[in-house]
Amino acid sequence: MICAPLMYIVYLALSADSSVWSRLWNTRIPELLFNTVSLAVSVSAGTFVLGVSLAWLVVRYNFLGRQVWEWALVLPLAMPTYVLAYVYTYLLGAGGPVEQAWQIWAGPEGRVFSPHSYAGATLVMTLDTFPFVYLLTRAALLNFNLSYEEVARVCGASRLRRMLTVTLPLLRPAIVAGLSLVILYVVSDFGAVSLLRFQTFTYAVYQQITGRYDQTAAGVLSLLLVLFALIFLVIERWFRERSRFYQTTGRYRVPARKPCGPLGTGLITLYMVVVFGIAFGLPALLLIHWSVSAVAEGAVDVRFLGFMRNSVFLSGLAATCALLIGTPLAYLASRWPSRLNVLCLQAAYAGYVLPGPVGALALLVLFSHLAPFWYGTAVVLIVAYIVHFLPAGLQTMEPALQQVTPNLEEAARSLGLGPVRTFRETTLPLVQGGFVAAWVLMFLQCMKELPATLLLRPVGFDTLAVRVWLEASEEYYKLAAPSALLIVIMTLPALLLLVSKDWRAA
Amino acid sequence: MSNRMPGSDGERPVIRERCGYRSPDGPVRLLTMLAVVGAILVTTAYSEPADRLVVYSGRAERLIKPVLDVFQAKTGIHIDLLSSGTTELVNRLQAEGVRTPADLFLTNDAGSLERARELGLLRPLPMREIERAVPAQFRAPDNSWVGLSGRFWIVAYNTTLVKPEEVKSILDLADPRWKDKVAIPNAGSEYLQAGVSVIKAVHGEERTRQFLQGLKTNAGTQVYGKSSQIVEAVAKGQVAVGLVNHYYIYRHLATQPQAPIAALMPDQSEGAMGAIMNVAGIGVVRHTRHLDSAKLLVEFLVSQAGQKMFADLDKEYPLHPEVKADPALPERRSFRAAMVPLARLAELREPTMALIEQVGLR
Repeated sequence: MICAPLMYIVYLALSADSSVWSRLWNTRIPELLFNTVSLAVSVSAGTFVLGVSLAWLVVRYNFLGRQVWEWALVLPLAMPTYVLAYVYTYLLGAGGPVEQAWQIWAGPEGRVFSPHSYAGATLVMTLDTFPFVYLLTRAALLNFNLSYEEVARVCGASRLRRMLTVTLPLLRPAIVAGLSLVILYVVSDFGAVSLLRFQTFTYAVYQQITGRYDQTAAGVLSLLLVLFALIFLVIERWFRERSRFYQTTGRYRVPARKPCGPLGTGLITLYMVVVFGIAFGLPALLLIHWSVSAVAEGAVDVRFLGFMRNSVFLSGLAATCALLIGTPLAYLASRWPSRLNVLCLQAAYAGYVLPGPVGALALLVLFSHLAPFWYGTAVVLIVAYIVHFLPAGLQTMEPALQQVTPNLEEAARSLGLGPVRTFRETTLPLVQGGFVAAWVLMFLQCMKELPATLLLRPVGFDTLAVRVWLEASEEYYKLAAPSALLIVIMTLPALLLLVSKDWRAA
Repeated sequence: MSNRMPGSDGERPVIRERCGYRSPDGPVRLLTMLAVVGAILVTTAYSEPADRLVVYSGRAERLIKPVLDVFQAKTGIHIDLLSSGTTELVNRLQAEGVRTPADLFLTNDAGSLERARELGLLRPLPMREIERAVPAQFRAPDNSWVGLSGRFWIVAYNTTLVKPEEVKSILDLADPRWKDKVAIPNAGSEYLQAGVSVIKAVHGEERTRQFLQGLKTNAGTQVYGKSSQIVEAVAKGQVAVGLVNHYYIYRHLATQPQAPIAALMPDQSEGAMGAIMNVAGIGVVRHTRHLDSAKLLVEFLVSQAGQKMFADLDKEYPLHPEVKADPALPERRSFRAAMVPLARLAELREPTMALIEQVGLR
């Protein structure tokens, strides 16, 4: 079921007339490829600098308010990319506050760079995704064995050289894992690039689906996008295989935090305030400000309760179903890793390379042919969520199951429990934490999902995300704000819960 | 993450079982709870009042909802609105077929309505109220769709950067002197597609291709998803001119009367093409289960009161001959429209799309 959309996309693209291929190749593909790759590269560079430097400061230095910053720097993850994008179209837009401020300095002809550009897209995506790198690097730094650095120091390596030849290479797996999350996020993002009008593959696919009667061109672009993501995943895995590091001794010390003088504390705090401010603080304040005035103008009515209910209902149901589907897959693959079971599990990861609009396209057509009865109902949307977000859930569920030794289950069986009761009473309580985390994670992502929701939502079933998009794409900033704020608020507690358990929050 | 060690409390469930004690399992209870909540939500979400209509609308929600609210208050018929892209909705109607929940299809482009009619998605409406209210050129011959308001695809210009004499025809915008000064909608825009179809029908393929190539070069990255953004860009002077429907300009002026932006009716000189016209319209979906209520809505929209409200909300031209347009708009009789029948927009669409794609507009 989960692979069907992927196969359909391949079929659709391959059945396309060669003239469609050549036409797209001559007109759109080079530009899209260039845009997508260059955005991924620049966002990776940006998140690398921000994420690693922030993690380094937070772990290795001691300054006033360190514990607070340690948490605050994760908060940008609660801000969906399209919300950040629409805040920045206002801030950086012509005649916006940034330009006005700049003109005081540079005269009335002063212009800031347009948010609707490569630079704008890079900025927004970087601010939204750097916590991935930050979180992973921080975790790696906390488990870092200081003796390597000390050995280097004893051997007389300079500080810079220690950093470049010892510390960074040891952090490499964590950084690479963080960057690969960032890149997957950038490649499959729809909300930000569409509001910023930056043409990437995912955006182009959405435009083809909504703007054309004929869907083959959308299929062709989708296939290329899927291949792109797939190649990237393979490279990433290969890279990770090659660079494994093991800590051979259990002995390791928590590195001492360097205390900072008032000047150091001031500089570090300034840096953190700036990053946090532009990535979360300022946008959040603006959203609150807009929401308050929208409420004052009476733009918020009971319909919002409905949007909220729809969001929670769809996301909750999808997360629950995904958990129910994922459990046997992960369980069977970890306990009886036969070829079939492992294959099933790997197949479930297919959703990773199916960005929202692509999966939606495939499901639209599949459902209208195979199960027309469900077409246009919430069922299709929930299936789309499951296909898309099950991989993220599985990544949390799998290690949870692997940590439970089969001995326990065997013991339970030998004490006379049947397989079902064994699972329910032995395994389940042990993996509970991991499973709750997986549920929360999938719930969060469903809440924020945009393109598939737009394409598949049933009549009268607008969600908060859809409302944000409908209003923001018309540049009705105030009207979009209450929905956006609600998404952020509802995401926050779940995010904090997750971060305290697991970093794979999105 | 749970990292209990075997031998410590990991064996707890088994021991509990032997003592005959069973606590409700956390996850199981959580899931049951969610299922119950879900079931409640499903039932509340789908409990319908008896009288309701589903309208698929390609028109911006705020431009249609007030009219529908008046209708709802008047008749007690509840209306569910699915706002989305026009083409997307045609695709959706087609895929849904007989199972469609939609009763009416409302959109801003006659070409899409005609396309829906050709696909057999709409239902002919032999109603005298329609024939009396809407002139024949603004509806399908069998009234499968009915125009509700007229709009013109024209040039918006920044009054501090451009003098109105500088643009005579829409085709002038392809001239190199407008390099980096033009804002255009993206290739998915039905306005652009319909506009280019009209230009192609009047000027032929080669001339249109040159126009599009020039336009593409001149626009550069100034390709927008929404016409309101184009108007915004022109008003702020980011670009000098933009291609939009006329009402976007007047709507902008209504909120910001001081904005340096104005509308320019192109192609008005002797023998020229005339301004490119399109209509917003509505059709009843063939497989509706609420035909009577749907007819009531159409009747309301073509009535004088409905026409006034529908057109004024968006500063469009009402099609009912006795209803006056908003006084802010130029008198309808003061300019000419291009003589390409609206219904032809559908057949012109595919070749136009091919051309747009060949040229490589985004």
